[in-house]
Amino acid sequence: MERDNHQVGETEGVKICDPPCESNPPADTLATSLSLLGNHMFPYPLERKHRSAVEEEPADSLSDVTAEEESLDGEPHSHQVTTLETEETESSECQNNVSTQQLDIENEDTATDNERSDSGEFVVTMLAKAKLEEQGLGVKGGSSPLLEAETQEPPAFMSHRDEDVTADSWRQHRKHVFVLSEAGKPIYSRYGSEEALSSTMGVMMALVSFVQSGDNIIRSIYSDGHTVVFLQKGPLVLVCVSSSRQTEQQLRGELLYVYYQIISMLTQASISRIFEHKKNYDLRRLLAGSEKILDGLLNLVDSDPCFLLAAVQCLPLASSLRDNISQILQKAITPNLVFSILIANNQLLTIVQEKTVIEDSRLEPADIHLLLNLIGASSAFQAGEIWTPICLPLFNPDCYFYAYISYLDPPECTVCLLLLSTDKEAFYAVAECKRKIEEAMMAQNSLSLIAKVQSYSVSQVGVSDLRHFMYKPFDVPDTYQQLTQFTSPEMEAPYSSEEEKMRLLDLYRYMHSRIHSTSRPLKLIYHVAENETLLAWVTSKFELYTCFSPLVTKACAITAITKLLRWIKKEEDRLFIRYPPKYSTTPNPSKSSRGGKSDQQDSTDNGFLSLL
Amino acid sequence: MPEVSKMKKPDVKLVLLGDMNVGKTSLLHRYTERKFKDTVSTVGGAFFLKQWGPYNISIWDTAGREQFHGLGSMYCRGAAAVILTYDVSNWQSLAELEERFLSLTDTANQDCIYALVGNKADLTDPRAQLSQDSDEASKDRMDCGEERTETQVLSACPTPPASPASLSGITLGKQVTPEDAMALYGRILRYKGLEEKSSLPAEKMCFETSAKTGYNVDNLFEALFDLVLPSILRNKNENQQSPTVDLEECRGAKRGRPGCC
Ligand SMILES: Nc1nc2c(ncn2[C@@H]2O[C@H](COP(=O)(O)OP(=O)(O)OP(=O)(O)O)[C@@H](O)[C@H]2O)c(=O)[nH]1
Ligand SMILES: [Mg+2]
Repeated sequence: MERDNHQVGETEGVKICDPPCESNPPADTLATSLSLLGNHMFPYPLERKHRSAVEEEPADSLSDVTAEEESLDGEPHSHQVTTLETEETESSECQNNVSTQQLDIENEDTATDNERSDSGEFVVTMLAKAKLEEQGLGVKGGSSPLLEAETQEPPAFMSHRDEDVTADSWRQHRKHVFVLSEAGKPIYSRYGSEEALSSTMGVMMALVSFVQSGDNIIRSIYSDGHTVVFLQKGPLVLVCVSSSRQTEQQLRGELLYVYYQIISMLTQASISRIFEHKKNYDLRRLLAGSEKILDGLLNLVDSDPCFLLAAVQCLPLASSLRDNISQILQKAITPNLVFSILIANNQLLTIVQEKTVIEDSRLEPADIHLLLNLIGASSAFQAGEIWTPICLPLFNPDCYFYAYISYLDPPECTVCLLLLSTDKEAFYAVAECKRKIEEAMMAQNSLSLIAKVQSYSVSQVGVSDLRHFMYKPFDVPDTYQQLTQFTSPEMEAPYSSEEEKMRLLDLYRYMHSRIHSTSRPLKLIYHVAENETLLAWVTSKFELYTCFSPLVTKACAITAITKLLRWIKKEEDRLFIRYPPKYSTTPNPSKSSRGGKSDQQDSTDNGFLSLL
Repeated sequence: MPEVSKMKKPDVKLVLLGDMNVGKTSLLHRYTERKFKDTVSTVGGAFFLKQWGPYNISIWDTAGREQFHGLGSMYCRGAAAVILTYDVSNWQSLAELEERFLSLTDTANQDCIYALVGNKADLTDPRAQLSQDSDEASKDRMDCGEERTETQVLSACPTPPASPASLSGITLGKQVTPEDAMALYGRILRYKGLEEKSSLPAEKMCFETSAKTGYNVDNLFEALFDLVLPSILRNKNENQQSPTVDLEECRGAKRGRPGCC
C-alpha cells in the first residue's frame, strides 16, 4: 500500500519532532494525520515514480511524527473527523479511484475535507526521514526492499519478510498486520520488512496519537474494499488492514491474538517496564527470531476456525483410550506441575490440570491456541527436550510458566507432551515425569493406538446434503471448569482446495458476524449462497454452523440438523474431553493460584531487562 | 534417538552459548545426526543426552535470543564445559560473547573449561568448504567441484533476519580471525581469575568449525569430551561411591567413537 518512493523536493517547513511533543499536541492536525495515513495506504500517483536520493544527515529516530503546525496552515481546525477523501489502496494508477472513507471514532460524528498538498509534503518528508533512519540502522537481512529497489536488483529469493513493499503484490495481500510501539517504532509486519515500513508505521502512530490527544480512540477506517482496524494495548499499537469481508469486531479479535502471542513470549509486565524505561526501545531486539511464531499465528487465524469460535477442538478418541492416557498423565507428577497436555497432530488429546490452580481461573482456549502455535512454530529440531519460559496471557499476563516440551515418537514427532511448571528449576524433575509417562504409554501400547486416530468425515453423520459443520456446546453449570470446545469434521470436497476452504470459512465468518452482531444479533440464519446453503443457529446450549449443498430445502435442512444433533449427542464422549481430569501437586492451595502468583510463578523477565 | 532419551543419570554437562544465528543448534545437529538441515531459532534451551562410550553426556543447546537472556545462568549451573560460539563472518557475535554471555557462566563449575568456537568457517576459509563428513557429503562434492563452492558462498550471503547483532550495523560482515578469538580466550581466563600458565592453552581451546560442511565439528566435541573426562570420572565416583577409577574403561571411551547415537 505504501509507496516509499516519493519525490523529496518540497520538504521545507515540516519537522519531525523527537522526542514527542507531549506538551501541546496540535489539535488541528488530526485531519492532516488522517490524510497522511490515507496517503500511505493509498498513495499518490504523482509522487510515486521518483526515488530521489536523500542528503545524508544524522538519522533522526522516527520515534514521533508529530507535525509542527506551521506547515499545516489552512488545515481544517476540527478534530471531529469522520470522513476523508483519499485514494483507493489497490490501484497503483489510482487517480480515478477516489473513494469516500469512513473513519470511525468513538463519540464523534462530523465531517471535514483535507488539503492534499500539505499532507503530501508531509508524507514525503517523513519518508525521507524514515529512509535515512533505515540506512543508518543497518537493515535486517542486509537488504531492505527499499534500498534494494534503488539498485534495481530484485532479490533472488523472497520470503515474506523480503517482499518489496512497493510492489502491487505486496498491496494485494488479503490481510496485513502491523505492530508498532507508541513511539511509532516498527515491531512487526506480516509482509515485508519492518524497516521498509517504518514510515507507514510512523504515520499510523501519528494518527492514533492525534485522535488520542482529543481524548478519543481511533478504532477503524473503512474504504471500499478495505477495513483498517486499530487496537492499542498498553505501549503497543496493532493495526490490521484487511480486504477480507470480516467485521471490525472479528479483525480486532485477531489483533488481540497477536498481542497475546507477543505477551506469551515477553509478558505484559516486562513490556510495560521496558517502555517505561525507554520510550523508543526497539522491541524487535527481543522479538528477533519470533517472527515465525507471529507469522504462523496469523496463518492459523486465517485457516482454523478455532480462533473465530474461541474454542478448542480435541482429537476424536474413544473415551476409554482418552481416559487411560489421562490417568497416565495424572500419575506422573512432581511439585509445582500445573498442566500436563498431550497433543497429537497439533490437536489436543488430553489435558490434566492442577486442582487449586484452576479453582479460581479456568484455562482459556486462547491460551491453548497460543501454546500450540508456539510449539508448532518453534520445534523443528525435535530430538531434544525443550525447557522454556512461557506466559499464558489470559491466565496471567504478567508471569511465566516453564514449559517442558518433548516429542514422544521421534523421529515422526507427531505426539507432543507439554508439561507446565511454575518452578524455573524443575527441569530434571519434570523430565522425570516424562519418562514415567513414556514408560506407562509403552506398556499400554498407547502410541500405536494414538497413531491410528484421525479426524472424522461428515459422511459418518449419515445426512446426505450436509457438507460440513461446526458445533460448539456451551458450558453447563456442573462442568464450569471445562474447557470451551467445538467439534468439526474434516473439510472435504468440494472444500478441498485452499481457496475453497477459505471461501467456506469466510461464509462461516459472515454467519458468525450476523449471529454476534452487537446491534442486531440473530438466533437463526438461513443463508442461501451461490454454491451452498448455510444455516447457523445459536441456543442457550450450543452454537451451530452448518453447510449444505445448494439444493437443500429449508425443511430438509431442519431435519438434517435434528439428525446431526442426535449424532453428536451419541458421539459426545468421543468428540469432546468430557471431564478434564485433575491432580494436586501443590500442598499449599494459595501458592500457585492466580492470586498467589508472586509466590511461585516467575514474574521476572528472563533477565533481558538487564540488557536495556 | 529414542533410546538415548531413556534417562540415565548424566555424568557431565556441556552448554552451548552464543548469539542467535551463530549456528549452535546446527553444530549439535551436525555432530549428533551427521546432517546439516534447516533450523528454527531455539526457544529457551534444549536438552540432549549423548552417549559417549560408557558415559552419558548432557548437552544444553541454549537460545541466543535476548528474550531468553537470564536463563543462561540456569542452564550453565554445574557445567563442566561451556562452548562459547560465534560466527566467523560476524564480528559482533564475538563481541556479544564477552558482553552478554560470559557473565552467565558464573554458575558453571569451578574447574569448568571454556572453548571458543568460530562457526560458519565455510564462509571464510576454503579448507572448511570441503565436507568433512565422509559418509554423506562426499558424493555430491564429487560431481560438482567448482560450482558447489560457488553456490555455497552465494546461498550463505543473505544474512538471516534481524539478529540483534546485525541491528548494530557497522560491524556486520567484518570477519573474526583466530587471533581475535585467542585474545578473547585470554580475557576470559582473566575474568575467571585463572592463570594462563596453569590453564588449557588458547590454541587448544579455540576452534573454527562449519556445521554446514562438518569441518572440525567432531574434533570439537570429542576434544571437549576428552577434556571433561576427569569431571565425568569424578561424578561417576561420587554417584557410585566407588573409590577407584577404571583406566581401561576411560581409554575405551576415548577410542570408541560415538557413531550415530
Ligand atoms: N554457512 C553456514 N551457515 C550456517 C552454519 N551453521 C549454521 N548456519 C546457518 O545459520 C543459521 C542459524 O543456525 P542455528 O543453528 O539455528 O543458530 P543458533 O545459534 O542455534 O541460533 P539460536 O537458536 O537462535 O540461538 C541457519 O540458517 C543455519 O543454516 C555453518 O557452519 N555455515
Ligand atoms: Mg538454536
